[in-house]
Amino acid sequence: MSQNDTNPQTAVAEDPTDESAVNRARVNTTRLLRTLLRNGKAVAGLSIILVFIILALLAPLLFPGDPSHITSDGASTPSLQHLLGTTTKGQDVLGLTLWGARSSLFVGFAAGIFSTIVGVLVGLSGAYFGRGLDEVLSLVTNVFLLVPGLPLLVILAAFMPPGIGTVIVVLVITGWAGSARVMRSQAMSIRGKDYVAAALVSGERPLRIMVREILPNMASVVMTTLLGCIIGSIGAQAGLEFLGLGDVNTISWGTNLFWATSDGSLMLGQWWIFVPSGLAIALVAFALALCNYAVDEITNPRLRRPKHATKSTAATTVARKEEK
Amino acid sequence: MSFLLRRLGFYLLAFWASITLNFLLPRLMPGDPVTRMLSRSQQRLEPQQVEALRTMMGVDGGPIIPEYFAYLGRILTGDFGMSISRFPTPVSEVIASQLPWTLLLGLTSLIIAVILGNLLGILAAWRRGGFLDSVAPPLLVFIGSFPYFWLAMGALYIFGINMGVAPMSHAFSVGLVPGFNLVFILDVAAHLILPALTIVLVSLGGWMLGMRNTMIATNSEDYILMAEAKGLRPHRIMLNYAARNAMLPSVTSMGMSIGFIVGGALLTEVVFAYPGVGYQLLGAVQGLDYPLMQGMFLTITAAVLIANFLVDLVYVRLDPRVRKG
Amino acid sequence: MIIKYLRSAHLAVAATAVVGTLALSGCVASNPGGTEGGNGSASAAFLTIPREDMGTFSRNFNPFSPNAAPMTGQSIYESMLVYNPAGGDTVPWLATDWKVGKDGKSLTFNLRENVKFSDGTPLTSKDVKLSVELQKKLLGGYDYVQSIKTPDESTVEFTFKKAFTPALYELGQQVIVPAHIWSKFKKPGNEENPKPVGTGPYTEVANFQAQSFELGKNPNYWQADKQKLGGIRMLAFAGNDGANLAAISGDVDWTQTYMPDIQSTYVAKDPEHRHFWFPTTGAEINWQLNTTKKDFSDVRVRKALSMAVDREQVTKVGMSGYAKPADCTGLSGNYDKWRDAAVVEKCDWTKRDVEGAKKLLDEAGYKENAKGQRTTPSGKAFTFDISVGSSSTDWLSVANIIAQNLQDVGIKATVDSPDWASVTAGYETGEFDTGIVWTANAPTPYQYYLNLMGSQNVKPVGKQTFDNYHRFSDKKADELLSKFVSTSDEGEQKQVVNDLQARYSELAPVVPLFAGPEWGAYTTEHFVGWPTEENPYATLSNRAPTTVLVLTSLEPAN
Repeated sequence: MSQNDTNPQTAVAEDPTDESAVNRARVNTTRLLRTLLRNGKAVAGLSIILVFIILALLAPLLFPGDPSHITSDGASTPSLQHLLGTTTKGQDVLGLTLWGARSSLFVGFAAGIFSTIVGVLVGLSGAYFGRGLDEVLSLVTNVFLLVPGLPLLVILAAFMPPGIGTVIVVLVITGWAGSARVMRSQAMSIRGKDYVAAALVSGERPLRIMVREILPNMASVVMTTLLGCIIGSIGAQAGLEFLGLGDVNTISWGTNLFWATSDGSLMLGQWWIFVPSGLAIALVAFALALCNYAVDEITNPRLRRPKHATKSTAATTVARKEEK
Repeated sequence: MSFLLRRLGFYLLAFWASITLNFLLPRLMPGDPVTRMLSRSQQRLEPQQVEALRTMMGVDGGPIIPEYFAYLGRILTGDFGMSISRFPTPVSEVIASQLPWTLLLGLTSLIIAVILGNLLGILAAWRRGGFLDSVAPPLLVFIGSFPYFWLAMGALYIFGINMGVAPMSHAFSVGLVPGFNLVFILDVAAHLILPALTIVLVSLGGWMLGMRNTMIATNSEDYILMAEAKGLRPHRIMLNYAARNAMLPSVTSMGMSIGFIVGGALLTEVVFAYPGVGYQLLGAVQGLDYPLMQGMFLTITAAVLIANFLVDLVYVRLDPRVRKG
Repeated sequence: MIIKYLRSAHLAVAATAVVGTLALSGCVASNPGGTEGGNGSASAAFLTIPREDMGTFSRNFNPFSPNAAPMTGQSIYESMLVYNPAGGDTVPWLATDWKVGKDGKSLTFNLRENVKFSDGTPLTSKDVKLSVELQKKLLGGYDYVQSIKTPDESTVEFTFKKAFTPALYELGQQVIVPAHIWSKFKKPGNEENPKPVGTGPYTEVANFQAQSFELGKNPNYWQADKQKLGGIRMLAFAGNDGANLAAISGDVDWTQTYMPDIQSTYVAKDPEHRHFWFPTTGAEINWQLNTTKKDFSDVRVRKALSMAVDREQVTKVGMSGYAKPADCTGLSGNYDKWRDAAVVEKCDWTKRDVEGAKKLLDEAGYKENAKGQRTTPSGKAFTFDISVGSSSTDWLSVANIIAQNLQDVGIKATVDSPDWASVTAGYETGEFDTGIVWTANAPTPYQYYLNLMGSQNVKPVGKQTFDNYHRFSDKKADELLSKFVSTSDEGEQKQVVNDLQARYSELAPVVPLFAGPEWGAYTTEHFVGWPTEENPYATLSNRAPTTVLVLTSLEPAN
């Protein structure tokens, strides 16, 4: 337990509280992970995401070369040679979809993770330090929440050179406020708890309290917010690119749809160009939503689905087997 | 009361901060409105012509600070100036001609989604593990996971082009003169079907899940058990006791959403050619139309704040615990 | 209370559903194709036209505003003459004839008799004078005009500071506004002009909505027998897709938007009535190389780059086969009657020739290194950007194809596609490598070659210019250009333009790509009398000076 504590001085003073806090936090997280893996929804969601990640990584092997190479062949329906057909520019749709996964997943996850980190930092600091800093941070958060998202996106995108980095930065700036608010309210309620007061009294440094006491107990909310942010980022990126405001030169699901509409695929009835990228976005978002579900169910056992229909006031079924 | 006053004070501060930001941000963007406008339409003008245009539209460029205070002053008198991208139409006229449609579409979709979603959530929570509870949430979440424009274009294609069932564009049939008669109202409703349907589909899952989870939490409270023990009918318990308390988070979310309706549904308008404010907003930003941008940002900010304030008022009525606070 | 709330909510949902069903059953039948609108008999049918770039309409009919509502300059206001690029002829309109002074320094128009504005006031020379003065004051231009005299009610005399033959078309196509109304405006540039008064065929604004508006007949039109339409109805859309969808569904009669594979999407749905015609009379689209950069100042490099481009692929895949590859004159179909066949025959640098390109590059000192990449004489890798605005998806495809073509000669080009405004800003200050650029499309090739080779608009890098972005000038071209404007003899003009074409082919100031098509499609279901390839009395553009020719030639189909 005190193995990770490299500072001998504080080890002596903190030992009684430290052990239980870290222990508790650690047990919480491991318990969470283990139950997660037992939950059907989580397994389904995680496996879908895993499949996409693997396909994205394998894309250069499955479709070597440049999938956006333009040929004069024109559009064609799905066939053995091109499993999902080709676009008006003669590009293989399956290849574009798989390569598109790389950019879409990367941007989505990166933007989601960074948004959550910023949100956690802001929310936690506001909740912990209270008073002046809290008022200021709340104001900033609320102002960012009030500014309409799309114009802010366009304005920011105009400053910076087109590219993946810009899209990520822009998504983070427009997305962090939502998570910050949720983090703050959750942190506020935890801050009032006894063990935090105990840690304060025993003189722990603020950062340690935030990271060691408050954060682990918010794990499920952080997880939910993280998943929500990732879903939001993937969707926002697709929307941006569909409007032509992203980097039109990268291959991603959003730009695939952008080209599909500007080449008039739907009007020409070329559904095989329009469907795959949209379906991919939906599947990934759905998988993440399933994981969200699962986390909700685990932390709130009442949400677990009973085996058969029951009245709402029936006793809640909780896992029969206790953790060892 | 002090709760409301504090909220009011906060709103005013946030309002001021927002409009300052709305003023500064566009001006930090590179370029100037006239060249943007010309490059968009690929017109070719002589240099003196561009200068003349600049003078005519008042974008000669001047120091920022006096312009900022002039801007604040004009807001108080309600003068939003003339739009640059639609010169010389006044900004208030541009917004006024589009805002009603945005509100109509947004409010209709929101109300339908909220009512339907909450109802489904309540029913699903009431019969846990039943058909509704097992099938509806995953299905609705899956539908809601599709990018909105994808669903909209798909709906347009399936219902509009192939089946010819619903009108595909605009707010009402062209040639029809607007008026408060049944024909016109029915026509408007018909044109609302596809756009509103797509918006409702995408947002239904969120409302349903939220309500369902809150209901489940509420259902475990003691007073529900007490009500059942007292022998009240299940229907009455579900609606009068459980739903009434579970509604609170929905009310807050709905408030926030109402405010943002005013920003328009850009993708809906692009796909369904609905004459609302969203597409204009994008055009205004891309065209560096400062007056129109400022006017719209102001409208959106004001709408969100007012909606939030109204929600707070309603919330105080609904949840007595807040009054003490 | 909650029960009441939810009960009424139930009712509301039910009501919406009922209304929806009612509307559904009634809507398909009552959704007019746009022509049998609320207004009565088939003979009063409205010509329905979509507009895809505005989203919503604002009631602004000021012809001096750059953002006036559609049809302001085409149907409400008219000009003294109309130049038809499709046929190459000039049609007298509000003026019956005109005379150019012997030294080219004066121009006199004789106005048509009995022309009235829509409020009954007769058209006089004073209106012409005021219109030209207002244009000059508000929007600049007409610097060469020294004075305007109105000796009598139907004669206008312009005198110029120096000979300028293109003035005929500039002044001739100026929209004429009524002086008795416009002289009274304190700030004419700020007028919305919601109830416009003009000489055009359809001037009465009716039923103005954000999504559509109508223009009714001008009760005092000077060609009453040519007002066969019930009126014009404009529909607003927020992009090409919406407008194209309306066209495909038969809701509009005349469209001017880019439609992919128009034969199968549009025409095939009703081959008896639907037609399209894309004459290549639009502006020439060029790939401009920034000649202030050392690499592009060498004519061999420019010609080599031109030879590397596969224009067949560019026009077939990038432009859906609608555009025509350029030749060595760089002229679009608009200038067919000026084109010099001799220059075209000797053409050697606008066809794909990878070997020839490689040879030229080697000769200029741009050799391939061990990895097969071209390097500049100073040893650096030869790479550059191709700029294009992201909203023009067809030109974006073109840029991508060019970049791909360049790989075959060992050059790595990257397509840079931010918003058009950023791209143009870069062009104006000369801070770009290369880019896809449109050109002017005036009645004579004068402006075209002026902007490509003349020194008039050349500004140093860093200073803003609105033409000649690639900053190229040639003394001999300057001489030829000034010779052109000073002579009004057609034979001499033709010779000068031949020399200009030869000079252009020698210098290759830009890489010409293709002649842009003028989009246009229509259906004869409700109206006939459209311009066609066999009868090119106008183009199919509904935003050009020739639009009024179409408006006065259409009549209801029977």
